[in-house]
Amino acid sequence: MTALYDELRPVSVEQHYRVSHFLNYEYRLLDDERFDDWLGLMHEEIHYWMPGIENRRRENLLEHGFYATDHMAFFDDRLRDLGRRVARFQQPSAWAENPATRNVHQLSNVEVYYGENDGEYIVYSTFQSVRSRGLDEEYVIYGRREDLIVQDGDSFKIKKRLILIPNATLTCKNINTFL
Amino acid sequence: MGNMIKTIDVTDSLTNLKDVCDLENGRISGKIFYDDAIYEQELEKVFARCWLFVAHESQIPKTGDYITTTMGEDEVIVIRQKSGGIKVFLNACPHRGNKVCFAESGSTRGFICNYHGWSFNVEGNLIGQHESGVYEDSNFDKSQWGLKEVAQVDSYKGLVFATFDPEAPSLKEYLGPITWYMDALFDNQEGGTEFVGGCIRSTYECNWKIAAENFVGDILHAGWTHDSAARAMLGGSVAKVSDFEESYAVNWNGHGYEFALDTVGNVAVLGESALNKYLHTIKPSVAERLGDFRSNMIGSVSSCTIFPNFSFLPGQNTVRVWQPRGPNKMELFTWVVVNKSAPEDVKEKWRKGAMMTFSPTGVFEMDDGENWEYCTKTARGRVTAQQDLFVGLGMDTLLTDTSLPANVYEGQLNEANSRAFYQYWYDMLNSRSWNEVPNRNVGKQEAE
Amino acid sequence: MDKVFLCKVSDLAENQVKKIENSNYGDIAVYNLGGHFYATADLCTHATASLAEGDIEDDLITCPVHWGQFHIPTGKAQGFPCEIDLKTFQVEIEGDDVFALIEADPALIAKG
Repeated sequence: MTALYDELRPVSVEQHYRVSHFLNYEYRLLDDERFDDWLGLMHEEIHYWMPGIENRRRENLLEHGFYATDHMAFFDDRLRDLGRRVARFQQPSAWAENPATRNVHQLSNVEVYYGENDGEYIVYSTFQSVRSRGLDEEYVIYGRREDLIVQDGDSFKIKKRLILIPNATLTCKNINTFL
Repeated sequence: MGNMIKTIDVTDSLTNLKDVCDLENGRISGKIFYDDAIYEQELEKVFARCWLFVAHESQIPKTGDYITTTMGEDEVIVIRQKSGGIKVFLNACPHRGNKVCFAESGSTRGFICNYHGWSFNVEGNLIGQHESGVYEDSNFDKSQWGLKEVAQVDSYKGLVFATFDPEAPSLKEYLGPITWYMDALFDNQEGGTEFVGGCIRSTYECNWKIAAENFVGDILHAGWTHDSAARAMLGGSVAKVSDFEESYAVNWNGHGYEFALDTVGNVAVLGESALNKYLHTIKPSVAERLGDFRSNMIGSVSSCTIFPNFSFLPGQNTVRVWQPRGPNKMELFTWVVVNKSAPEDVKEKWRKGAMMTFSPTGVFEMDDGENWEYCTKTARGRVTAQQDLFVGLGMDTLLTDTSLPANVYEGQLNEANSRAFYQYWYDMLNSRSWNEVPNRNVGKQEAE
Repeated sequence: MDKVFLCKVSDLAENQVKKIENSNYGDIAVYNLGGHFYATADLCTHATASLAEGDIEDDLITCPVHWGQFHIPTGKAQGFPCEIDLKTFQVEIEGDDVFALIEADPALIAKG
């Protein structure tokens, strides 16, 4: 997915509300560790992608500027892969998850546009994920997202997610949540 | 030579290292993970002297291709020459020290410093400056002021290493017979290996040695730390390592490689049957190339660290450098290595599988991170830092009657490699020069 | 007008540039662009550099030191750090010989 400007058609106010509400709800599920419910929001063909960001000169850019399809990434998952991550979170022997990490996921700058096909929506947003572990660990990850959301009855499913952080060096040791 | 680095001053060794590192009695102290004075000595006596991993040849195939990285805390540029060789320069302009190359990788005809327009070609020579006339009037000799080259650069099976120390032994001598084992991953097929594009960088609040030691010989932790990840990826617990009939911990000069001979124990955790199948398919050709013994290692339960801070896991094919950033901080550089000759879909599965398991989002790595950080953090306590820490498992497991090369210890559930790692560290910190570093190796230089 | 011999036509393949030393007028760069010959001062107008050691990209010469560019046929500087245009010389071919036609006044040669 590439950032388009001229060809985008914004949705109605009401539809914007519905999609934003859905995404806020998604984030509350993650804050509450409701991973199975969160997985349930993924389309079966989900591509959940957070590429590694490479610090390159302007005259030497990669396929997509700071990232490329077949390069190292933080997430480059299909549904099965997301399921495996959730499976680990739910293991009693996931020692690093006990005591639990406390999460606050924040979303803003939401733009919702009609996608190419009926019932599909292109959504741009920015996010901030705050995690605290133990007594004094605090990690903040922020970035931009490009989602492809599809209508699913009264609600939606996430078919594609591209997460782009500005950092070439992640400022924390792990990402034990979803973004 | 005008463009060679000046070697740094040698300072006196710390006098009390024996208190915090006594491997004969199988103990260390947490102070080595937290102390500023020890860290400063490491920068001087380990990182300014040893061979450090800087790049894989596949990252810089054509003239002018470069990557930037660090050797210890020194920033360097690694760039392919027209001659086909590789040069490594300090990434600092010889005028006022400004960083000369700000990108992590790319391709260029040279570097121009943003400050005064000093221009360097691919060979590192200073070829001009902004307002060059003024320099000419000052009788400036350009040939003395090129980018500073490190003392030695060499590579082994695609892995490029460099050292700041002209007195360091050759890379071949430094690696010793550990190379025999490294071939199981880096030379098991014709054409050798390549890195997947990119590099994942992350930061840890831990001492670099804890992670390096974990990879040098700590398979012991896998069954406990990584139970959750194994269940997630395999649906069951980690392979019971103590059930393996035959496994080893081998070391040399502080490098260590621990391994079983189950062929696919490590690769299996990526949860991709196509990768297991690939290794089984190539195994006969590996046996022809390297012998039966090593053909059992190509993806087996195993890990390796090349002293001081270069590590890899065969099978998961994850490759690491634990970059020191202070006594209790490190930056981790993570790559994935694959055989050049592997089919594209196999390479793709390795790229994804390795990141899924061993990266900042890796289901295995996530549990390691907390262990390593808190091993470091408890050493903040003055009293805690001086207590004894046990590193005495497998004290009497040295095998003297073996045809295998290097110092060989029986059984990979063993702390022999950890002891060898810290012993070499101790020896480097206690030696004013390479001549003084004792040779504690007892094993064979070559396989029989 | 001074007629200065530069080189033989056969000396310079297409899209090549060569430096011709000249103590009277400063070194001269001679170019073969698709069979047409051009000549400019060899000394870059920005800093001490020999343009003949640079690369030809279409009809531009890129200085090897700070990568500034000049338009070969007109000598026009293409932007920072090259702001001063390059001196160009009319070229005359006689048989296999390439000549530059240079005004006899050395003050007209651009200085680095």
